[in-house]
Amino acid sequence: MELKISKTKNLYFALSAALIVAGLIAMVISWITLGAPLRLGLDFTGGTLVQLRFSPKAPAIEAVRPVVEKQLGITNIQQIGDQNIAIRTRSLSTDERTKLQEQLRASLGKFEIERIETVGPTIGQELLTNGLLALGLSLVGILAYLAFRFQFDYAICASIALFHDVLVLLGIFSILGLLFGVEVDTLFVVALLTVVGFSVQDTVVVYDRIRENLKFQSRKKTFPDIVDDSVNQTLVRSINTTVTAQLVLLPLAIFGGETIRLFALALIVGFLSGTYSSIFNASALLIWWRERKTTAPVTAKAQK
Amino acid sequence: MRQRTWLLLLVAVVIVGSILIIATKPTILGLDLQGGSQLTLQAKPSEKVKQVTPEVMKGVAAVVEQRVNGLGVSEALVQLKGSDQVLVQLPGVKDPAQAERLLGDTAQLEFRKEVPGGKFEKTDLGGTDLTNAFPQALQGGQGWEVGIEFTGPGGDKFARITRELAGTGRRLGIFLDNKPISTPTVGVEFVDRGITGGKAVITGRFSAQEASELGIKLKAGALPVPVEVIENRTVSATLGADSVRQSLYTGIAGTILVLLFMIAFYRLPGLVADVALVIYGLTTFAIFKLVPVTLTLPGIAGFILSVGMAVDANVLIFERTKEELRSGKQLFTSVEAGFQRAFSSILDAHVTSLITCAVLFFLGTGLVKGFALTLAIGLLVNLFTAITVSRTFLLTMLNFSNLRKPALFGVTGVPAKAVR
Repeated sequence: MELKISKTKNLYFALSAALIVAGLIAMVISWITLGAPLRLGLDFTGGTLVQLRFSPKAPAIEAVRPVVEKQLGITNIQQIGDQNIAIRTRSLSTDERTKLQEQLRASLGKFEIERIETVGPTIGQELLTNGLLALGLSLVGILAYLAFRFQFDYAICASIALFHDVLVLLGIFSILGLLFGVEVDTLFVVALLTVVGFSVQDTVVVYDRIRENLKFQSRKKTFPDIVDDSVNQTLVRSINTTVTAQLVLLPLAIFGGETIRLFALALIVGFLSGTYSSIFNASALLIWWRERKTTAPVTAKAQK
Repeated sequence: MRQRTWLLLLVAVVIVGSILIIATKPTILGLDLQGGSQLTLQAKPSEKVKQVTPEVMKGVAAVVEQRVNGLGVSEALVQLKGSDQVLVQLPGVKDPAQAERLLGDTAQLEFRKEVPGGKFEKTDLGGTDLTNAFPQALQGGQGWEVGIEFTGPGGDKFARITRELAGTGRRLGIFLDNKPISTPTVGVEFVDRGITGGKAVITGRFSAQEASELGIKLKAGALPVPVEVIENRTVSATLGADSVRQSLYTGIAGTILVLLFMIAFYRLPGLVADVALVIYGLTTFAIFKLVPVTLTLPGIAGFILSVGMAVDANVLIFERTKEELRSGKQLFTSVEAGFQRAFSSILDAHVTSLITCAVLFFLGTGLVKGFALTLAIGLLVNLFTAITVSRTFLLTMLNFSNLRKPALFGVTGVPAKAVR
């Protein structure tokens, strides 16, 4: 199989653009209906989650609802597995929560408390700010490193590919949030950052090869050809690395606990996008950039 | 050759050392895996203390620590976080509500005296005058009270106040955070000298739990400023154990899949990479125990993820080796070239990921930090195992003539020139 990125690059750009635009639309809809581009979880909005475990079997949600809503108004109640009931509300004080537990115990019988999560509104804001700050800082750090190791235009193209992956991941989770109520939490920010690292890593491997090939073959071949060669030479590696990463992520996504499952899903989406963008976008961007800059036949200078 | 023998020896030492560490050192599990509560307390300026300074926070942490000790939770952790927060970790705590009540109250104890007209007037006696407080059963057996002991000057103040009140019918008000918890009268028999001896009891129809909580709070003293519980993450031991089991299974499943894939795709080098991967797992886990890293759910996910990424270096190297073989180079040269040429990519890839880890570690909180730390350790160990270890093994194997076949490297159709 020989890929000719240089010939078909507009097709790949279009594919990426379509995916990103769909995501952006979802984010806009989400912004209008939910007030944020993604459905923010308790970590960011603040709130309380109480998960109760009944044995042998959880009561029906209809039995739980009146007890909870008498105290708290309309509340999100979910059944998790056979035994667990999760109640999500605004941030409750200790006394409010204790009262809720007492009333539930009085009307539903015995249960164990599996999980309590209370996040005050201020701390939610803090987590969100920190997450965005982390994202920004690591982007700057990576860009600086790339500019130092490669040339400036490589760094620019790699970061465009990077933003592509970030946008794809955000977009898909925005869509998932609209369709299935999937919420993002602190772990999602971690996933986002991991994807950033991985995406650059993937792009760097291809760029490394382009740089190496330029050194040895720049007299014989044009820049687009060298890029095509480099992509093909690293293609099997790109695919295999994605496969091994997916092999460990898939079991996590399928069998992992509730929190880890979405984390793994975010990584799966991000890694797939990362591989796609480094094969099809990052290198194509580099060709496009250099073609734009030089109207004359591309003469690739040997570079260090 | 000589160097390789030393490297093999080093690898052997690393393996044995790792196994020893894994066997002897305990694994430290985070609260989300062993069960327990993590609370964040936010200090707030009060009328008396207008600004929350680092000194004030030290005072808050000290009092919180005292109260946590009173709870009797082993291996509890109290630490300052940011400029005005305290993080409290309570492993294995059964009743988080109790901990919240205990830690969240200011516990400002005041003794007030009733003035004609029924109002209570402040005195100079308060919580700082206590040396001890403890719950004790009421003598009739019905309910509990809290015994308190005063410092020397505190005892004198108490005697003076009780002398003033004795026989007047006006009450002594014992207030906690501006709420009366007990309002006894002082008998006429104390009119001469007041209640002396530096001891007293607070009776207020307490349950055993209330008396014990009050005892802990009074003994630890009042918080210099009010605090609020702004975060509570509690996980039961059952849920924690479930998570451990799940991550163990998924981790093993994922690793086996990766091991099989590598052998299927890369044959002999794949096998070598698998061995390197197992060594990687052992070493990384040993370092986790040595540091020690507190393993959390995201931390384990970071570790599992690093397994997937650890093979990336080997994939890069072996692809390169294959290429060199296809271009007709000799086996030994190809293997060496594979390692050499892939190195710059591997380094770049690792540095970019380490940058992300560093940012996550310094900016993130608890869970996020765990993830960054495990991933970073994994990446660093990987530089050693995926390059040095697998290179040494592979070159050692090439000493055996019947292993020197390109087919074993997944390359066919190349004339076998695999002679050194």
